[in-house]
Amino acid sequence: MGLGTYLAKRALFLVITLILATYMVVVIANQGGAIDDILITEIRLAVRQELEGEIFYQRLNATEKNRVYQERVGELIRVRGLDQPFVAKSFRQTWDALTLNLGQATFTYGTGSFKLTTIIGERLPRTVLLFTGSTILSAAVGVWLGLRMARKALSTFDRGFTVLSITTLVIPSWVFGIFFILAFSFALRIFPSGGMVSAPAPREPFALFLDRLWHLALPLLTVTFSTFGGWSYTTRNLVLQIMDEDFVNVARSKGLSEKRVLHRYVLRAASPPIVTGIVLAIVASWTGAIVTELVFSWPGLGLLFFEAIVGADAPTIIALTIIFAYLFVLTIFILDLVYGFLDPRIRALGR
Amino acid sequence: MATPIVGTRAAVRDALRTKSGLFGFGMLAFIIATVIVIPFIAPYDVVRAWADVAAWTDNPRNAAPDWIDAFDDRKQSRNIILDWNDFNKGESNTSQNLKIIILQGRWEFPYHTFPSNYRLQIRATWASTPIQIAVDWRRPDDETVRIFEGLVTRQAPEIDVLPLTADDPRNDPQDRVRDWAVSVGADDVDSLRDVRPYVTLYAAQGGQMLDPNRASVLRGRYSLTITAIARNLTDTLEARFTSFGQVYGLAGTDHLGRDLFVGIIWGAPVALAFGTAAVFITVLSQVILGALGAYYGRRFDEVIQRATDFFIIIPVLPILILIGQLYEVTIVIILTIVILFNIVGGTTKVVRSITLQVREELYVEAARSYGASRRRILFRYIIPRTMPYTFALLSLSVPSFIFLEASLSFLGLGDPVLPTWGAIMGDASRNGALYNGLWWWIAFPASGIVFTTVAFAFLGYAFDKVLNPRLREE
Repeated sequence: MGLGTYLAKRALFLVITLILATYMVVVIANQGGAIDDILITEIRLAVRQELEGEIFYQRLNATEKNRVYQERVGELIRVRGLDQPFVAKSFRQTWDALTLNLGQATFTYGTGSFKLTTIIGERLPRTVLLFTGSTILSAAVGVWLGLRMARKALSTFDRGFTVLSITTLVIPSWVFGIFFILAFSFALRIFPSGGMVSAPAPREPFALFLDRLWHLALPLLTVTFSTFGGWSYTTRNLVLQIMDEDFVNVARSKGLSEKRVLHRYVLRAASPPIVTGIVLAIVASWTGAIVTELVFSWPGLGLLFFEAIVGADAPTIIALTIIFAYLFVLTIFILDLVYGFLDPRIRALGR
Repeated sequence: MATPIVGTRAAVRDALRTKSGLFGFGMLAFIIATVIVIPFIAPYDVVRAWADVAAWTDNPRNAAPDWIDAFDDRKQSRNIILDWNDFNKGESNTSQNLKIIILQGRWEFPYHTFPSNYRLQIRATWASTPIQIAVDWRRPDDETVRIFEGLVTRQAPEIDVLPLTADDPRNDPQDRVRDWAVSVGADDVDSLRDVRPYVTLYAAQGGQMLDPNRASVLRGRYSLTITAIARNLTDTLEARFTSFGQVYGLAGTDHLGRDLFVGIIWGAPVALAFGTAAVFITVLSQVILGALGAYYGRRFDEVIQRATDFFIIIPVLPILILIGQLYEVTIVIILTIVILFNIVGGTTKVVRSITLQVREELYVEAARSYGASRRRILFRYIIPRTMPYTFALLSLSVPSFIFLEASLSFLGLGDPVLPTWGAIMGDASRNGALYNGLWWWIAFPASGIVFTTVAFAFLGYAFDKVLNPRLREE
């Protein structure tokens, strides 16, 4: 079994996960089929009211009345697809969702289009920008800090940052967002309190870019602050463990510099578990995106989620739930890829 | 991988010996002590009133906590209430068969800021004709302002709130107050809408007394006299006056005047109960399933492994949002769904890897050789040995459950009745607390949730340090 087989296996598993999750969403959204009965009752009521108001209907006798009524109801049920069994319909809806055939939203959300793919297509890059940006930033800061903590193990520096890491680790970014907005934008007035651009937006491209950066800064720093702890704490512990292994001692006794030992031997051995350990943290940060974006009025998928909740826009909520399932699965697949290349055990499988 | 196996009691003892363990335990003890005391400070009735808007109308809205001026010479104005029986009552009958009722209330106003509003409630009964009243506001500088003249329109048990501030077609106190202020030398304002009677009536005489930003407070003894003319001798009249403060209570109030201190302390048992209930049930099921999978192996193990991966990947919060939007949910339903989504999870994997080791140990072999049943070996020999290793995960999962519920409540999809920290923060956020400087509304519940979850994080860290952290990989 080589790297290819490993990845194929993971991909298969993730696709099955995605299909199951989507099916679950479809069943929940349809209230397990019960919503069909509610819709049919509504149709019957509406048809009866409509017919009572029509003159030709009032002149018919009872049997004919019943026939016309049943015909109309039957037609509407057929048109709306309510005559098909729920199971068959749920499979079709799942397929539509998986192929990103998401349908129409109730509102346009400022895009000028009701098409959900258009609306989500506009919001998605902003969420990806904020959350991949802060993931890269917090990985860089966290690993660097973790290495320093391990080198100065049990010093005040190490203890201080260990405590900071584990406390910031459990607190989601939106809670930090609240404190940071109060401190940096309300009290100190350094950063804007929300949004993605000033109103009115600067016209000149470079000024617009700086303005966007200024708006991005606080949410980016907040998300980074709440996620770096996972990287630094894991890195520190792993490096400390690996430092005692025989192969590290051998490298040291060969006379290699401490820095070289750390980077070439220790970090390389530590990287696969660091990546594994962090998978859950990134997945959690996608979930946190929903509330974090609301706190910062950052107009990405999370804020769209909230706008859809306020507007009771069920199609958008369903579509977003599926998009989030996609995001989760894709994130994990990318990490599987990274893991596959990093972990010598998997690379060695093919040899 | 060799694992030093530690007993449950030793693990707890060692964890409590570390500084972080002691710290986390201390914080948790403080929260639990608060939870025990709460029913004495704020009985459950108060919580039931949380969702009832009418229960909080005596409090100022969006008021800051009252200790903010503790080190300040300038005292912020507090709530002053003259209750129904705080008014002195005088009645007399005239020759024309009319009844004259005079109500008088006095209060001291020693503060340096204006009230945030005022209100006069009238409770009256009459036999045939509505009662005619006049309200006079007497100030420490001996000025008297007639702020209302007209009919009481509602009979008891209904309470008539006189139009002292709002737009009311019956009468316009803003007009009266402006006329009086201009007559004593105030600079006039462009629009009647700018007049704040509760500022001008408390303002020291001068050109700025109609300008809420520049007027200065006249401190001293105020009084309110209500003179009523009733047509029947059986008619009655009572009054109640409220001068709303700028500050209120230990934690301030929200947009409905609800005392945030009540909501915040009641958030503690709710969060604690939610987090610990979810954790105990899910960890128990995760431990049992992990051990079962490792012990029986093969197909069963494979199914549990794949299910674990599945439940770790699926987006729980979006699905909870979907459920919260389409169905009516209470906190118990949310808890049930959260538990269902965590029947297997991280702990399953940890317990599985430990079980694989423990299974091969001599004492398990010995038990097997004397003929112990599989169930006995699993529940009496293997699972107890895995317990200490779940403590770190157990403590670290409580925060994630607490925050999951808080996220849902923050979005407005949580329990509709209970005051949870997430719901209070959500109310605050939706009403612009972050941008209008109402920091207490959002910072206190956020601090409550941070304090509670950090306590669990410290405990989890202590257990993690005592036991082999390496087990958490894979």
